[in-house]
Amino acid sequence: MRHPFPYEHFRNKSFVFFSLVGTLPLAPALRSRLAAAGFQTAQELLDTGPCGLSKEIGISREEALEALQVVRQECHGDAARTPGGSGATRKCTALELLEEEQTQGFIITFCSALDTILGGGVQLTKITEICGAPGVGKTQLCMQLAVDVQIPECFGGVAGEAVFVDTEGSFMVDRVVDIAAACVRHCHLIAEAQQEEDHREALETFSLENILSHIYYFRCRDYIELLAQVYLLPEFLSEHSKVRLVVIDGIAFPFRHDFEDLSLRTRLLNGLAQQLIIIANDHKTAVVLTNQMTTRIGQSQSTLVPALGESWGHAATVRLIFHWDNKSFQTGHSGSWPWSATCQAPEAQEFSHWGWDSVG
Amino acid sequence: MAAKKLRRAQLSQELCERLSRYQITTCQDFLCLSLLELMKVTGQSYYEVQKLLHKVSRACAPKMQTAYEMKLRKSVNPSSTFLSTTLHSLDRVLRGGVPCGSLTEITSPPGCGKTQFCIMMSVLATLPISMGGLDGAVIYIDTESAFSAERLIEIAANRFPTYFDSDEKLFCMTSSVHLYRDLTCCSVLKRIMSLEEEIISKKVKLIIIDSVASVVRKEFDPKLQGNLAERSNFLTRGASVLKYLAEEFSIPKLFLVFVHFGL
Repeated sequence: MRHPFPYEHFRNKSFVFFSLVGTLPLAPALRSRLAAAGFQTAQELLDTGPCGLSKEIGISREEALEALQVVRQECHGDAARTPGGSGATRKCTALELLEEEQTQGFIITFCSALDTILGGGVQLTKITEICGAPGVGKTQLCMQLAVDVQIPECFGGVAGEAVFVDTEGSFMVDRVVDIAAACVRHCHLIAEAQQEEDHREALETFSLENILSHIYYFRCRDYIELLAQVYLLPEFLSEHSKVRLVVIDGIAFPFRHDFEDLSLRTRLLNGLAQQLIIIANDHKTAVVLTNQMTTRIGQSQSTLVPALGESWGHAATVRLIFHWDNKSFQTGHSGSWPWSATCQAPEAQEFSHWGWDSVG
Repeated sequence: MAAKKLRRAQLSQELCERLSRYQITTCQDFLCLSLLELMKVTGQSYYEVQKLLHKVSRACAPKMQTAYEMKLRKSVNPSSTFLSTTLHSLDRVLRGGVPCGSLTEITSPPGCGKTQFCIMMSVLATLPISMGGLDGAVIYIDTESAFSAERLIEIAANRFPTYFDSDEKLFCMTSSVHLYRDLTCCSVLKRIMSLEEEIISKKVKLIIIDSVASVVRKEFDPKLQGNLAERSNFLTRGASVLKYLAEEFSIPKLFLVFVHFGL
């Protein structure tokens, strides 16, 4: 028997109008009332109109109008989104993605071994997690990145600004001043060697004062302030559209105490990871997190593993683990994308006056 | 910040009453719920709940400052950023002395002189600013009963004989060192939590905890199951409160951990 549903009639209309009432972003009480009254699709609601709706389910006309406005906004929003491909659906071919990724800049660290392991530097639109024992240099690296993200494009940088969210209080302004001064000197040396016009122009605005003014610092004292700050980040990033790096120094610290309910912690961390992924993609920023190490007691031995458990391990695209080995650094890069080789830094990394720098 | 009540976050009165029926009264309760749960308890649509989340987040989130503003603020007050230890080589390595506004940890094998060092720092903190001190009171949290008042007077009289030339001056100095003997983890934590008011009322400029490791080792046997988690819970909670106090009051503190081999 031929199906009575007239597909041809509706072929050109957006399929969103057939979205079920249960999926609309209305208040749950209202949704359950609509379902009880027998409404199934958004189109039915729009056809009924506010007066009919209010009589049928027993709500006021104003409430009915409000509900219909939400439905209309949802439908038109979706219809506008599907042809474009940006927004919630976000589809593109792998080739387009490849081209985008290849032209995207990296935030260089001025340490060639580290840049090599990372495949060029810290990548935009990805989350990089830095783990290591206390004192190994995670905060130093973050401060270095906050300066390096501002390097002008003619010197190989991305000319962006940085947001620094500090949960442990280990941010030292004096150290950032040292790093920034060294970076400016380095760029001056390059400009003198190459003698190009755009280098000189760029150096006029690339000064110590400018660098420091474009590092936006937030001090979060507990996990609630951290959650609140991450909720507000998208708005901040829309207002400051040049930000290309978000550093959260110490993602583990606020979550490691005051949590009897571990499942709540996992849920909050997962929510945080999701929001950070959205921020990284929507605003084309690199997100860098630092994590502590904790001891996992095995049967015969104990090992140092990154804190916050195994489920958190899936949040970051790239995970850098630093550890001391006979006074020289070793870095292991365990990333689920695109490779997971571990390699050793060939030379000892020194915290010279310039910050992270390869020696020899 | 977490305990901030929702009505101070500028939510409407009726919404706060409705939420309190579900036992949601503070910003912490609100932000820990997922979006769907929030829609259920507030009875509002997705977009409205997003707006509410924004409002509550704004009430809790920290203020932004640029690194440049931080640098300017520091350069306005350079003299108060370090407490010199009067040991020249140590001061050179520390680039000035014990830094203000952050925690300093002292560790060593037993018998090296950590407690002696702390007693000396207590004397230094009570000296007037013209002599390199802080002209303030000291809070000394002693977990091993190792503090000796006689030793305090001996150090003061021998190192600064010209200043402490009368008994009166010595007693004045000793009355500004407030000693607390807390011998369990629980009491140490309670003491740390109560420090905020003491700092303001007694004009404290230096806090010493001697020592954290001894009290932790007494109570937490790392071989027992579950003790590691509790121990790290206690340590991180204490550390975060101390960090908050250090930054809030920008006072130099000594946070001592006696690390023995094998800890």
